[in-house]
Amino acid sequence: MTERAQDTVPFGERDVPRGEKSSLVRGVFDRVADRYDAMNDVMSGGAHRVWKDIVVARANPQPGEMLYDIAGGTGDLALRWVRMAEKARGRRGGDPGRAVVVDINAAMLQAGLTRKDAGKVDWAQGDAEKLPFADRSAHCVMAGFGIRNMTDRPAALAEMRRVLKPGGRFLCLEMSRPTFDAFQRFYDLYSDHMIPAMGKLVAGDDAPYRYFVESIRRFPDQETFAGEIRQAGFRNVSYTNFAGGVAALHIGWAI
Amino acid sequence: MSQTSEKTKHEVDPRLLEILVCPVTRGPLVYDREAQELVSRKARLAYPIRDGVPVMLPEEARELTDAETG
Repeated sequence: MTERAQDTVPFGERDVPRGEKSSLVRGVFDRVADRYDAMNDVMSGGAHRVWKDIVVARANPQPGEMLYDIAGGTGDLALRWVRMAEKARGRRGGDPGRAVVVDINAAMLQAGLTRKDAGKVDWAQGDAEKLPFADRSAHCVMAGFGIRNMTDRPAALAEMRRVLKPGGRFLCLEMSRPTFDAFQRFYDLYSDHMIPAMGKLVAGDDAPYRYFVESIRRFPDQETFAGEIRQAGFRNVSYTNFAGGVAALHIGWAI
Repeated sequence: MSQTSEKTKHEVDPRLLEILVCPVTRGPLVYDREAQELVSRKARLAYPIRDGVPVMLPEEARELTDAETG
């Protein structure tokens, strides 16, 4: 324990003691919770909605299936999941799809609870590294733009593997590395200058958005992250780039 | 605010309580409706339910007294 308390983990461009990261991340999200969804729209030009639609379509929710939406924030993926499962149920019957949104941040969950369809999914405050779920209890686990904020990524991946039923799927949507050099240079400029400026304009505070940009840069590239997912015990791991690698969807199977 | 979201603010879905386990021991939880807590006897912790949202974080939980666990 004492040894682990000594080592450091990335928090944006800084390294901080391992024990401090999660409260620092919580502070960031406390400050942006109310405007988080609006800010995502501004930063991605609305693209994050399309990406989330694609993620849930790839997950292909079936009637009666359970989703855990980890670091699920305001419930974007979970609400799409139950909506799509409902469509499948309309075609061929069965039980409704279900979803639980888990987030470590109370302010994000409270922002999600104000949505008009909030009652269609369940909400719990929890830590991805210590999930409050039994082994093999979900058909699908997702993490959308959350995994780069986790302190101990291997522990979180192992937890998400643990709670999946045999044959279950894990879908992870995260900001990633643009694959073309020229585009990467433009993207760096955009990230360093435009995103914090827009954060200041829309959310009234640029510091949280500087953290977002820096945490994206510190996150491993597509191949490296796929390796981490394999390391956690997932099989048939693959990924799909969105917008030339600005974001990537990684998929792994609990088989 | 619609009526449904008002409702979810203050009541926990009983079906959610069936799914949740103690994040420390992964053992069962007992729902204390009066106190709005989820009690893990094995971990000697009571997890609060705030505004209808179970707070499944050990650092936010109340430690059970000897009288409660005895």
